[in-house]
Amino acid sequence: MNQKEKNVGRRDFMKAAIASIGGVIGAAIGLPAVAYIVGPALKKEADTWIRLGSVSKIELDNPTLFKTTIETQTGWINAEEEFSAYVLTENGQDFTVMSNVCTHLGCRVRWIAEKEGFFCPCHNAVFAKDGTVLDGPPPRPLDRFESKVEDGVLYVKRG
Amino acid sequence: MLAKIGDWLDERFSWRGVWEAIFLRKIPHVNWFYTLGSATLFVATIQGVTGILLTLYYVPTPDHAYDSVMYITTQLPAGWFIRGLHHWGASAMVVLTVLHLLRVFFYGAYKFPREATWITGVLLLLVVIGFGFTGYLLPWDQKAYWATTVGTRIAGVAPIVGDFILRIARGGDQLSAVTLARFFGTHVWVLPASLAALIGIHLYLVIRIGITAVPKKDE
Repeated sequence: MNQKEKNVGRRDFMKAAIASIGGVIGAAIGLPAVAYIVGPALKKEADTWIRLGSVSKIELDNPTLFKTTIETQTGWINAEEEFSAYVLTENGQDFTVMSNVCTHLGCRVRWIAEKEGFFCPCHNAVFAKDGTVLDGPPPRPLDRFESKVEDGVLYVKRG
Repeated sequence: MLAKIGDWLDERFSWRGVWEAIFLRKIPHVNWFYTLGSATLFVATIQGVTGILLTLYYVPTPDHAYDSVMYITTQLPAGWFIRGLHHWGASAMVVLTVLHLLRVFFYGAYKFPREATWITGVLLLLVVIGFGFTGYLLPWDQKAYWATTVGTRIAGVAPIVGDFILRIARGGDQLSAVTLARFFGTHVWVLPASLAALIGIHLYLVIRIGITAVPKKDE
């Protein structure tokens, strides 16, 4: 009887030992692997002020497109990326800077002055001058950027 | 709950019989040298897992290979750890495979009826060396470049066919983007497929035939 209990004990001990050592090894590789895989996804870009251009170019009450190139680093590649935004001002003092990225699925919208709207070529979305949705599938108005004017030059914050 | 799922599956394809054949088979009283094969298999598994993880970021072209390896090592969380495991695991693979081979050789375990197991084992050693040779080029640093220059040149000195082998290995006269791409393809597709197939046969034979006992003095 004693002998039998001892035998069962050893087998169970080995099972537990294999399971726990295996668990430790699995965790030692599995947990770093998770960090390794999700790492780049969790990395937030730092806020940067992008120089758009002189405010004198902005027409009153008519959205004006600003284009500039910014340097980006993604993974191991340094590249130049084009950045565009529409600027609207009603009094030449306060500026509303709107993204030209459609809030539906990310295509680029275009201001067409004759039709008084931002038009998206992908799914026929239409936004008003101030970015509110007039027609089509977008769930929210055009995104806005924080902006500032220094020495007559307009900057927007991207982060 | 687990036992129930186990029963349900066992009713359908009798996996417990397979489990018993693999893990509860009778073996002679042996020593620690008999763990070298399992140790090799364990490290091979680590190499597979870490290798798959490395391909998530590694790019096999001359203009990005080195930068992507540096990105893995210095920018990614635990990237140094995953790459380090793969790097040191590569050396461990060669050492363990050879030690395992020596144990089989000195115990005479390659003899009848285990010749086929021995042959697949020798092929596995060649596959492991192939992994080491092709993997060494992939970081595309100075050491990798010149080691592969020398390594392919060594293949080139074989009589008659040497130059042909060198050109096949490099994909041309020079070490180039073509060389890097074919070494990568070999390292992550050709060799892993060969390794998996050979390990399957090797293990089947080990389990089917059973392992040798430690030979006695007068044997």
